[in-house]
Amino acid sequence: MKSVLTGLASLLVVLASPAALAAQVGGRDPLQRLEPAVRYKVELLIDSAKIYGLPTPPLVSRALEGMSKRADDRKILAEVTREFRFLRDARVALGPQVSTSELTAAAGALRLGISQSELAQLARSRTDKVLTIPLVVLSDLISRGVPRDTASTTIYQLFQRGAADDDFLGLWRGVERDIDSGTDPGQALLNRAREIPARSPGAPPASTGRPDISETQDR
Amino acid sequence: MSDEHSALDPAVQYLVTEAKRPVTVDAAARERLLEVVRAEPRPRRDVPVVAWLVSPKRFALPPLATIAAAAGLVGIGVVGGYLINRDGRAPTERPQGAVVASQLPDSSPSRAIKFVLVAPQASRVSVVGDFNGWDAAATPAMRQPDGSWTTFVTLEPGRHVYSFVIDGAHFVADPEAPIAPDDGYGHRNSVVVVRGASS
Amino acid sequence: MSDAADVQRVLDGDVDAFARLVDRYYERCARFAVRMLGNRDDAEDALQATFVRAYRSLGKYQERDKFSAWLYRILVNQCRSIASRRSQRERVFIREEAVLLNAPDRSTSWTGEDEELVQRVLAELDPLLREAFLLKHVEDMSYEEMSALTGVGVSALKMRVKRACDRLKTRWEYIKDE
Repeated sequence: MKSVLTGLASLLVVLASPAALAAQVGGRDPLQRLEPAVRYKVELLIDSAKIYGLPTPPLVSRALEGMSKRADDRKILAEVTREFRFLRDARVALGPQVSTSELTAAAGALRLGISQSELAQLARSRTDKVLTIPLVVLSDLISRGVPRDTASTTIYQLFQRGAADDDFLGLWRGVERDIDSGTDPGQALLNRAREIPARSPGAPPASTGRPDISETQDR
Repeated sequence: MSDEHSALDPAVQYLVTEAKRPVTVDAAARERLLEVVRAEPRPRRDVPVVAWLVSPKRFALPPLATIAAAAGLVGIGVVGGYLINRDGRAPTERPQGAVVASQLPDSSPSRAIKFVLVAPQASRVSVVGDFNGWDAAATPAMRQPDGSWTTFVTLEPGRHVYSFVIDGAHFVADPEAPIAPDDGYGHRNSVVVVRGASS
Repeated sequence: MSDAADVQRVLDGDVDAFARLVDRYYERCARFAVRMLGNRDDAEDALQATFVRAYRSLGKYQERDKFSAWLYRILVNQCRSIASRRSQRERVFIREEAVLLNAPDRSTSWTGEDEELVQRVLAELDPLLREAFLLKHVEDMSYEEMSALTGVGVSALKMRVKRACDRLKTRWEYIKDE
């Protein structure tokens, strides 16, 4: 059975690749539907991104997203410009050795008002951990109404105390549930954060008897 | 756009003149090349004749969900990522969604991610995101008997932003997924983080 | 001896006819490869791969196409694939507004200060812009030829060339005062 699954799974991956690849590139010329003056400026931003060592797919993606959502071309240019600035600022804050995912997650946090120095502080305390999930959770919490400072401080403290990706995901799931049932968002975060034991950085999460987040949640 | 024959800026003209200067060629490199060529088998005429400029084709794929179902990948637990499996929950008017990371052998860095939206009133649903150019036609979901819509997308490890599109027009975030920061276009997006070799 | 006639001779068994084709195009191709890739070693790799590949696929060449265009298509693709195999250079930020760009690869024997500066400013262009600029203004190709060669539309190519010229102008002003 295992070998059948393996075979079919790789078939799945192989079949998926060309469409994913073609779709990611958006066909031969993804930006061709933009009005020429706007497209010119978008492409200048893409050039600048390359010079700054920034990933360009997020910029192309922003433009394609705008086209898909029927935004007008000026708006699309404005959004690509904003994305460029947030990516650049994220790069300055996090330094050169970061993955595209960390960069886009950090750019997202900057959009929500997190400062470059808060990002830089997170980056400094990272040892070898990746920032993507903490930043994604941070952004989500702020979007759900947790006050920015509370969210930022709490996430930073957890990260510094050695919280792992699974801890952040569990935290996020718990806070979401509490907010849904009426708890004040900031309070929900503080409550749930207390449940996460401090670990030495790099140590694997110890079993705490809490339900595994991969199990079906009973709501 | 500028006319092909319009004058170049003097600075650029200077650069062109300089760039057109011949470069010194290593004679030994050329000799080596000819030796390599002589060692090659003789080229033969192609029969039939094929045009050497071919435009790339888009590939049309069968719905991945069908293959996945046949492969028995549907419903295999969760590996990494955050899943919510909403089996026990009664559908409400608000569309519900879930992202499931299905198991793939470790040799493959990409993962097939299952996207689910409960939307029994919809006529069509698709997933759009940074992995398919936000193209509503690229990743249609298949309607299940229970009124949910599912599709599989193979994603590289890392952070991806996405949304569901209902009936080709309504952008709906995944209610089960982390919220992505404001898209700037007036709609809310969702985030999925695929864990794996590089994220 | 036209190119097409030489190709036929090679296909009929006369390998020396290929040496004539190489002689005719090697220096021009070398210049493009060096300007495009920025260093001699990579350029030589590209040249060798180009001509060997051309030799192997001579059977596919059709007389109605210009041989130089056919050959350049191979050359452009080889340059692209060599460029993509080179490892990413580190980029270092000193200040928010300033970016320190790495110097391009230095080859052992450049002649004249200006050639180095020209090569440097070309290296700062995005590769697709550089490629379009070189094909248009150094190789003197028409946009139609470039379009057939790269598979990119004419208006997109015109835009790339324009952007390349704008950027070159700006960077050249900046660099030549250093």
